[in-house]
Amino acid sequence: MPGDSVASQIFEQFREDLDQGNDRRERLIKVPPNRPARRVQTNILFKASRDVTNISKKAIFLIHRIVLEDSTDDRALALRAAASGREKLAEANAIFAAMRPELVGDRFWRYQRQVSPGLQEYIEALSFAHYIEHDALIGYQQVQDALCDSNGPFFPLTVSDYLLGLSDLTGELMRFAISNIARRGGRPKASQVCAFVRGCKSDFERFTPHVRELSKKQSVTANSLEKIEAAAYAIAVRSSEYDIPQEMLDDLVAQASTRFHITDRQEGGYTEGHV
Amino acid sequence: MDPQDLETLNALLEHDVGVSEKIKEQVKEFDKRVRIIVGILGKIHSTPSKSMPELLDSVDPVLLSCREITQGIASTIPPDQFWRWKDMWSNSMRGAIFAAALIEYLRHGSLLSLPRASEILGIDEEWKDRFSLPVEDYLHGVISVVNELSRYAINAVTLGQFEEPVRISSFVKEIFSGFTMLNLKNDSLRRRFDSLKYDLKKIEEVVYDVSLRKLVPPAQAVLS
Repeated sequence: MPGDSVASQIFEQFREDLDQGNDRRERLIKVPPNRPARRVQTNILFKASRDVTNISKKAIFLIHRIVLEDSTDDRALALRAAASGREKLAEANAIFAAMRPELVGDRFWRYQRQVSPGLQEYIEALSFAHYIEHDALIGYQQVQDALCDSNGPFFPLTVSDYLLGLSDLTGELMRFAISNIARRGGRPKASQVCAFVRGCKSDFERFTPHVRELSKKQSVTANSLEKIEAAAYAIAVRSSEYDIPQEMLDDLVAQASTRFHITDRQEGGYTEGHV
Repeated sequence: MDPQDLETLNALLEHDVGVSEKIKEQVKEFDKRVRIIVGILGKIHSTPSKSMPELLDSVDPVLLSCREITQGIASTIPPDQFWRWKDMWSNSMRGAIFAAALIEYLRHGSLLSLPRASEILGIDEEWKDRFSLPVEDYLHGVISVVNELSRYAINAVTLGQFEEPVRISSFVKEIFSGFTMLNLKNDSLRRRFDSLKYDLKKIEEVVYDVSLRKLVPPAQAVLS
């Protein structure tokens, strides 16, 4: 019976080894189905990349919603938006903390591909909150500091995750700028965002040879930038030709930005062949 | 972006590029040596069994010289980063495992164990977080051995070694039943395992042919 041979004993070992790796990969991607409700901190649970992605997306939408509220004090609004965004992201931090034991030592790089997608989304949300509050780009060390608790960092932050996360920020800023243009007093803000996105694009350019997928994201950034610039252009042209009142200007800009949404849909989103 | 941050990031990335370049160089050399070994081992198909030990001995120095490479790569990898870079050399590594396992079979008729494979390639247990031999790569190498043996079974008969296919058949069956114990995910290892049955079939046919013509004592054929 071949089942009792030396080979089968050896292979039994391998089965354990392979299963362990596969199971860990699964745990990092999705939440186990039998997750008891509301026991976030228990370390037997390894919540995962996908959850982090969801939380981060919610945080981004939350920030977008708050900054567009009517208010007389834009600064206070921005601070509240950033704070709410961070509060939401704290949930993601709890997940990262639970993932830590799965990622110690050489395991981090083994499962890095499972962690990356959620982490990049998280960085996008975090940098958005940071920009809303400080009008500046969040630093590499600042992101690493956010990925910490009292026991130290959850895992090392890779430069590529940092840059790819930030690269996604430009898309959010485009949305932010366009919706701001239609708001009273939002136009200077929009041109500020425009300059900022332009700066990001040129700063990232030198990193593209070293970071895979960054060049693809750079072309998405270029698209976002063009949209902001086109909106700014519409304003400049109209306001120089006529001395039109602010309310009318708001209408014109609203029209311009809807037109962009429509072309967007016709093209089917990102223009990848554009590189 | 803050100019200083820009510099830091650039320095970090440049450092990674440096590591990757150094590994690339060594992998190139690794690959070269593995190709030499596999080239020599190609001659097994035309080597009668009495000259086999000599042929296998001629491979040893080259195979053992791969230790310099594993040593070199291990010292290049930063701590904890084994899995970050391993894809760069897994192909050469699988080739080396294949060679070592094929030699082991031809010499002793047995399956080379993973720890023994690590030992031949000079992989130190202490390098664990920088350089090790993952199960997957080892299994890829073993599958290549089966592929090769299905050819060897035929050529051994041509050389008049009629009992060889019978030996190969029992060895390969053992490996195959080992693989069936694994829960493979849908990757290249799984696909290669799925193709093993064709090798098995080919070997069976050779065994059938030689036993039908009474070229092997019937008892031996039945034993397999």
